Amino acid sequence: MAESGFHSPGPADFDFPPLFGEGTFFTKPMLIVVLGTIAVGAFFYFAARRSTLVPGKLQFAGEAVYGFIRDGVARDTIGREGIKYVPYLVTVFSFLAVLNLSGIIPVLQLPATSKIAIPLFLAVISWIIYNYVGIKRQGFGGYFKNMMFPPGVPKAIYPLLAPLEFFSTFLVRPVTLTLRLTFNMFAGHLVLLLTILGGEYLLFEYQGVAGIAAGSVSILFSIVLTFFEGFVQILQAYVFVLLSAIYIGGALSHEH
Amino acid sequence: MSPDDPDDVRQTDQNGAWDAFALVVSGVAVWGGVGWLVSEWLNSRAFLVLGLLVGMGAALYLVWVRYGKP
Repeated sequence: MAESGFHSPGPADFDFPPLFGEGTFFTKPMLIVVLGTIAVGAFFYFAARRSTLVPGKLQFAGEAVYGFIRDGVARDTIGREGIKYVPYLVTVFSFLAVLNLSGIIPVLQLPATSKIAIPLFLAVISWIIYNYVGIKRQGFGGYFKNMMFPPGVPKAIYPLLAPLEFFSTFLVRPVTLTLRLTFNMFAGHLVLLLTILGGEYLLFEYQGVAGIAAGSVSILFSIVLTFFEGFVQILQAYVFVLLSAIYIGGALSHEH
Repeated sequence: MSPDDPDDVRQTDQNGAWDAFALVVSGVAVWGGVGWLVSEWLNSRAFLVLGLLVGMGAALYLVWVRYGKP
């Protein structure tokens, strides 16, 4: 048995040294963001370039992503007006999907979205959009009135409900949007680290019959979990975009 | 929204499922928070419990008003 023992992965595994220079500006997550942005941009650029009536493979893939968000998210949740928000939703979905998937892409193997700044920033953009759209559509007073005073409630209990609605729309929505994505990625990465590093430790350092047996199970399990993580990463990108669309749709459609 | 538009009807259903969570969290946070402040002030745990229960009740009522009716 090794003297050092096994160090279980924890939050410290999400701190990275700068790739060059001083400070914490350009770290591994930052590199992934840059690579992801280039990848998404290039994908849509080449998918849209020379578009033909009978699409090639790349154009087909680009149109599939676009169509999925337009029909499955924008049209279903916002309705007829949804088409206006499709570019934003498609961009956010692809960006998040790529940054999430960097968690299971070999070599990178870190979901950049497990750093809270990235989901937070996107959540703030969604927050600004749905509030802006709501105020523009219903007027400043009308937006807050419709938000805080839902119809069909006895007037006497408005004092009980109004602060709750306000808090929900202004604070809980962006916070849950951020935390749901961040900690799904954070926890997923920790689970993969644990099964892979733990399995490696058991196989190569602990050894013995028990170590080899348990290590093999751990490594096999990590493969299953990698596929599961891939599913979760796509799902969470979808959920983020779906909720953004629902909030925009809600801000547009209060006509009471 | 017009009730005969299938797009809009579906929208309301979906909103309910997702927004309910935010409402329940806010209910407990807002009135639980107020209850906690009053508890600190008057040195009695009872107000915290009362606030939490009132918040939970108000949030569930709101979910029912908004999304529970057919």
